[in-house]
Amino acid sequence: MSGWHSFCSNVGAVAYKEAAVIRHDKAFLSMVFIQPWIMFSLFGFVLSNRPANVPWGVLEQSHSSLSRRIVQELQATGYFLPPERVTSYEDAHERLRTGELLAVLVLPQSLARDAERGGARLQLLLDGSDPLSAARIGAYVSQVAAAFEPRIAPDGVKDPDRLIRTAGRIDLRQRFWFNPTLADRNFFLAVLGGMLLTNLCLSGTSLGLVGEREAGTYEQMLASPTRPIEIVLGKLVPFVPIAYAVMLFSLVLPGVVFGLWPKGNVFALLLTTLPFVLASLAIGVFVSTVTSTSAQAVFISVFFILPSFVISGVMMPYQFMPPGVQQVGGAFPLRWYQIALRRIILRGGGLAETAIPTLAMLLIFAGLLALIRWRMKPRLA
Amino acid sequence: MNLRRLRTLVRREVQATLRDPFTLTILVTVPIVGLMLFGFVLATDVNHLALGLYDGARSMASRRLVADLAASGTFDVVPYDSSAAVGGGLVSGAISVGVVIPADFDDDVHRAGGAEPPTVQVLYDGGEAPLAGNAEAFVKALVGAGAPALGDEAPDPRGAVPRAAPEHGVGVVTRAVFNSRLEGKPFMVAGTFGFVLSFLTTLITAVSIVNEKLTGTFEQLQVTPATSLEILLGKVLPLGAVFAFDVMLMMLVAGLVLGVWPQGSIPLFIVVSTFYVMISLALGLIFSATSASAAEAVQKTVVFSIPLVQLSGFIFPIRNMPQGVQWVANLLPATHYIEVSRAIYLRGEGPLSMLPNFVMLLLFGIGLVRFALRAIEARA
Repeated sequence: MSGWHSFCSNVGAVAYKEAAVIRHDKAFLSMVFIQPWIMFSLFGFVLSNRPANVPWGVLEQSHSSLSRRIVQELQATGYFLPPERVTSYEDAHERLRTGELLAVLVLPQSLARDAERGGARLQLLLDGSDPLSAARIGAYVSQVAAAFEPRIAPDGVKDPDRLIRTAGRIDLRQRFWFNPTLADRNFFLAVLGGMLLTNLCLSGTSLGLVGEREAGTYEQMLASPTRPIEIVLGKLVPFVPIAYAVMLFSLVLPGVVFGLWPKGNVFALLLTTLPFVLASLAIGVFVSTVTSTSAQAVFISVFFILPSFVISGVMMPYQFMPPGVQQVGGAFPLRWYQIALRRIILRGGGLAETAIPTLAMLLIFAGLLALIRWRMKPRLA
Repeated sequence: MNLRRLRTLVRREVQATLRDPFTLTILVTVPIVGLMLFGFVLATDVNHLALGLYDGARSMASRRLVADLAASGTFDVVPYDSSAAVGGGLVSGAISVGVVIPADFDDDVHRAGGAEPPTVQVLYDGGEAPLAGNAEAFVKALVGAGAPALGDEAPDPRGAVPRAAPEHGVGVVTRAVFNSRLEGKPFMVAGTFGFVLSFLTTLITAVSIVNEKLTGTFEQLQVTPATSLEILLGKVLPLGAVFAFDVMLMMLVAGLVLGVWPQGSIPLFIVVSTFYVMISLALGLIFSATSASAAEAVQKTVVFSIPLVQLSGFIFPIRNMPQGVQWVANLLPATHYIEVSRAIYLRGEGPLSMLPNFVMLLLFGIGLVRFALRAIEARA
């Protein structure tokens, strides 16, 4: 029992000392205050996968009123800049190659005639060097064209052909749940907290421990009656309230500015945040045990943080990634946290929906603790 | 400028770099790991996406539609007992798309020539906006093709961009030039060059000067007769050579492992990349020389590196950003380098049409070097 008591008091003492250090670390504090604003404005206002201002061209061979109407309807979608005139296929290819245009719509000579018979076809040339935009633009153009009614007005003549075709058609009633306008903004802002906490926890702890080793105070602490694991835990404790403060900030800001409040159980959200914060802090500690200068620690943190944003599915859905890469991403706590965040904030999930991600993060945390203990031992000798 | 002094400085830097196993490991592993990670993550085709399905009709026609959805390999169909259960699956994140076939589906199909086409309800998980956008295109293509299940030609559902059935409206035949299957790999590979060369270089120089300041050798360097230009070149030339090696290493790995070779001129790409490395190295020098302490330099890099990488068009096209931000993005050298590397790598572009980018890079180079020289002098 007294062992437990001394454990708690040792951890408390180290935590107290660490909190005092953080309070005086201006550089760290300014990072904590500035970064949320930068990330929020980036993901709230700037970054988007949705094509906009697409430069495109029209290779007009049909010269019919039909072709003008198609171009107008595409223009009305709002994704495109005013179209450029393209004179030939060679010209189209050349301008796609220089990157001047992203798409070229070819309106064939037979367009008006084909439309009379039904079954008119257009050709769309896309710059495949930007595959995401190309795929989306292709889909937009196809949708506009598919909804396009080539015959200008039904002139009362019954078209038996057309009736049969309509009969074969299936009417899709589509709805996008949780995010009706498919705004990328909601997709990103839901995981704003995950990104901020990753930065905070990783750079905070990785610098903290290495900095002490550089300054020689780490040896002093080891000489005191605290055990290494107590030092590590004591170093982690002060970051937990900071992390929760940042988390709340990242919930309130999108709520106030864009009306994006969590739809689900906020208690579950706070609960699942704890294992994530612990696991991220543990990664920072682990980084500090494998590096010897603070410069190296920062290095590893930076090159860990950005790829982890990508591979964990924060910036693009992990479901897109090939099987091997998906499994690698599962080793990152951020993967599970972003799943939990999106389930609660966007889809209105609760404790039941976040149980598995929470467990996964606890497992990762336990694994990291074991790794840290193993790495710290030889250094005591 | 004294060549003999410069040679001494270069030799000193080379030895310092070679003696530090950490830097060497970083210089080799970051480019390779970066390529492998980023090369695989971007994909435009949906595969094995969980699709929850409630078939209320349980008829021949509805089963046919289900079979069509399952056959393409795009969706893994998970059956549900009620439409409410499908909704629950979406909330829990177990499925990304929900399809509800109503009980009267079959009646409508058989009502030949009827005014109302049969209705199928499709629910997408908008929480994963990019995923939902792509899934929508595929469902439309597959279900739109479901009608011809009653006898028409079957469109190819595996194409990267689904085609609309031409019976209603106007059909579109899409053809992607330069990357006909719309693969993500070449796009990400070309961008990874920009990512690695921007941030590895800046950090390496920042770290190397920070370390020198910590041990006090930077001050010593400043009191030697070496001019600031010589100090700058002494730092930049050896690291530039290392990164030129990195560029070739990355080209080999991208080609051999990911199968992505540059479409355009390889020597041109190496020359441009090396020049860009020099610019970034100068930027790193400024970062560290203007910081009062090691911690400050390090925090600066951490706080700014992530927004910078987002604004340079590495993942998100600059075109999609608000106008004011686009101007800011165009003021970053990384933006121009990534544009150039994509042009050469993906579209096989010659040097002429990239002239504006080259001019911008050159201007940055001159400006940054002058600024770096001043920063080094100021400390002396």
